[in-house]
Amino acid sequence: MNPILEGLVKALWLLVSLDPEVYSIMFLSLRVSGIAVIIGAALSIPCGATIALRDFRGKRFLMSIINTLMGLPPVVVGLLVYLLLSTSGPLGPFQLLYTPTAMIIAQLIMVVPIIIGVTVSAVSAVDKGIREKVLSMGATGWQLTVTILREAKIGLLTALIVSFGAAISEVGAVMIVGGNIRWITRVLTTAIVFETELGEFGIALALGIILLLLAFIINWVLTQLQWSGLRR
Amino acid sequence: MTVARVKPETRLTVSITILVVLVAGGVLAVSYEYYHWRPMQYMILATTTSTYDSGLLDYLIPVFESKYNIQVRILSKGTGESIEIAKRGDVDVVLVHAKTLEEAFVNEGYGVHRVGVMYNDFIVIGPKNDPAGIKGITNATTAFHKIVETGNQGRAIFISRADRSGTNAKELEIWTKINVKPSNKTYSWYLEAGAGMGTVLRMTNEKQAYTLTDRGTWVAFRDQLKNLEVLVEKDIILLNPYGVIPVNPQKYPQRNYKAAVAFAKFLISEERQRLIADFKKEGETLFFPMARDFGKATQLGFPNQAQEVAWYDTQDPLALQSTPFVTIAELSAFHNLEVNFSPSLICSWDGM
Amino acid sequence: MGSYATTVEWAEKIMLVEARGLTKAYEGREVLKDINLTVQEAEFFTVVGPSGSGKTTLLRLIDLLEQPSRGRVIFNDVEVGDSERERHALRRRISMVFQQTVLLNSSVYDNVAYPLKIRNQTGNTIYRKVQETLELVGLKEFEKRKATTLSGGEMQRVALAQAIIYEPELLLLDEPTVNLDPRNVTIIENVISHVNKNLKMTVIMATHNMLQAEQLADRVAILKEGELAGIGHAEEIFGKPSDFLASFARLNNVFSGVSHVDEEGLAKIDIDGLKLEATITRTGKVTLFIRPEDIILSTSPIASSARNTFRGKIIEATDLNRNVQVKVDVGKVFVATITRRSFQEMQLNLGSEVYLTFKASAVHAV
Repeated sequence: MNPILEGLVKALWLLVSLDPEVYSIMFLSLRVSGIAVIIGAALSIPCGATIALRDFRGKRFLMSIINTLMGLPPVVVGLLVYLLLSTSGPLGPFQLLYTPTAMIIAQLIMVVPIIIGVTVSAVSAVDKGIREKVLSMGATGWQLTVTILREAKIGLLTALIVSFGAAISEVGAVMIVGGNIRWITRVLTTAIVFETELGEFGIALALGIILLLLAFIINWVLTQLQWSGLRR
Repeated sequence: MTVARVKPETRLTVSITILVVLVAGGVLAVSYEYYHWRPMQYMILATTTSTYDSGLLDYLIPVFESKYNIQVRILSKGTGESIEIAKRGDVDVVLVHAKTLEEAFVNEGYGVHRVGVMYNDFIVIGPKNDPAGIKGITNATTAFHKIVETGNQGRAIFISRADRSGTNAKELEIWTKINVKPSNKTYSWYLEAGAGMGTVLRMTNEKQAYTLTDRGTWVAFRDQLKNLEVLVEKDIILLNPYGVIPVNPQKYPQRNYKAAVAFAKFLISEERQRLIADFKKEGETLFFPMARDFGKATQLGFPNQAQEVAWYDTQDPLALQSTPFVTIAELSAFHNLEVNFSPSLICSWDGM
Repeated sequence: MGSYATTVEWAEKIMLVEARGLTKAYEGREVLKDINLTVQEAEFFTVVGPSGSGKTTLLRLIDLLEQPSRGRVIFNDVEVGDSERERHALRRRISMVFQQTVLLNSSVYDNVAYPLKIRNQTGNTIYRKVQETLELVGLKEFEKRKATTLSGGEMQRVALAQAIIYEPELLLLDEPTVNLDPRNVTIIENVISHVNKNLKMTVIMATHNMLQAEQLADRVAILKEGELAGIGHAEEIFGKPSDFLASFARLNNVFSGVSHVDEEGLAKIDIDGLKLEATITRTGKVTLFIRPEDIILSTSPIASSARNTFRGKIIEATDLNRNVQVKVDVGKVFVATITRRSFQEMQLNLGSEVYLTFKASAVHAV
């Protein structure tokens, strides 16, 4: 019980004392995962909606691929992105490795299949009758899509919640492409690994608690958005 | 929970406010970072976890950073990974302790002007009751031999890092000397952890086993390792030399060669060598300078030490071929050696 | 015969809706075969037929939700082309109420306001129109309610509100009152009738409720297995119901006769010799209907306030779960429905002599 209590106390202290290193790490975690999810959603939601609303040959096959990619280990994504961004790699000239940008790219790749998969599921669940109803009321194709997305709001926000959770808590990808460089690419998860390696269990737990706290706040916010206007 | 009694509209407003605050915080952080870090020149150093974890770099690097107004980004990986990413040109300079890998690195044209900086030593640690009876033996190979014997009798376990690290390389070197090819398949008492030094030390403590470790990590962790003690030390084969190698600018002209050379030069300069010797942990000296001790250097695998040191001594890093990272600003900054790096951002965990 | 190819905003009001040679096939099976009909402006047109006769398909084709396999839908003598833009522009002026109500997952207000929102109307206009329309369908206080929590009848009224709020020129309804309770049915029928008679909206409604069709329609078309099996004015079609009509319609106790209203306001109707008394106000030729449930059976004449009593013999008895449907010949054949228990307790049988009694108010004029 001791290290856990120590962890709780340390977590509170780190937060309250406005320790700059901890806050830098926290905001980097939020930034990297947040941007990855936002860009991921912008790309994946239209994609998922299109797949869900149209029938085409190979649709089931495509869905199997997407579902498989949802389970892609982040560390594998990290390795692939590393090879891509390395100086010897195809994107070498951009010198993106060991920067937060590289971390965002890796998490983006990880998050896209998840959002597509959940979006397809959410949009498919919208009653088919809505489509004709809305069309018959004179909506344009674009208005129809927007309306269907609004009907699928609950599912879409689930996609965001799930993918953000996955991103902020993963450690493999950001370790490889970020390098866990102090002040530059150290996020909560890699910092936890680092402190654990040093045997500083108290601090590692403290950081873990802070991570959970952050995730909770974000999830709470997203859940409010998810159910807004739908209470009664 | 009282939150449930708050009206949905209020909750929504609160959530949106939180989101806005977080986004604003993020944007502020980005602009701060952009404003502060961007213009600064940086150098990426790949080193081993044991070097980094010992704290030596936290002690030396700030001096380097403020002197040259450069930001040093340290990647702390296993030796294998450090060399691998250096070969791919992702870092500017490596500081490792693996002679064979280093030599191959230079011979294959990836590194230039390899020079020895310091050495630390490895020690064999094991359980206090010492079933293999190796305590006090001065010859590491003999000690290892005894471990094999005892292991085969089922009374001893040896844990290896098995991760291509410098420590691992040294361990295998000793096994080779007694013609043993250790693997878990052939010897059930030989456990291949595939992990960093800290983790392996803890495992060794749990299992009351034997292992090879560098003194630095041992000193850092020994309070947590109640079952273990130092059994074998000071054999020459246990000496662990560190080499610093800038990445070859011909191969990777994008890299910050000037900074790499400046760094190596910094490490082997008389003042820093003295600093290294002064670095103590719990009263023990962990690293022994050897850059200017040509005899020792040659003995430990740096035959060209004298020439390389001479080369470095004559180098003015700024006169070197410029890399894309050079700006007029830093040229003048170099000549203004008093420029200070913002100290508030270098604070470490020491306070905790 | 021009085409709409160049006009997106179709300015002329829809005067005529015509189906010409309309055919639709799904996977080789023809659901609609060569339908030809014309609906005039502000007409109330009903399409009747049993389930599966193609009523829904016909409406969907007219609503431009699907394309016919052969034939054309024609508005105002101009064929509807294939361009989506054109079809979309036309759809904006037509609305349809579907059999299965589907509403958006939000408030009643949002649902009813939706068609106006997608037409970019302003908040104030929308608010006013929503209020008016909700009042029309009797859902004034329901604005903030979540649409999916309403009863079946309320939901269908919301759907109706959605359909009329943007003042379409053509209103299509696919069996809008099926499975609804009488109160909702009445409200809905009244609204449809109102928009047709007072707002001059052309209405095409599919139903298999003959009463409803008779009450509301100007003209009727009968669909049988995808083909037109009759088309004409309501009185023609229902005055002399064909065998086919009788086969799928609940046409029990429908009689034609001549009505004569006396000084007290009571109507006396002669149906081929049999004299009925009713509280209707029509005179002259009438078609009457009495609900089988409104007829009381007795084994001896009862003294009651009911105006109509006849004596006859049971010629047929059919078991209907808890009830028994009894056909009694009193000169004309009447169908009465009584509980099975009563049937047993009264020890009725084929050939039993019984008395039929029903009130004057139970006689409806259709």
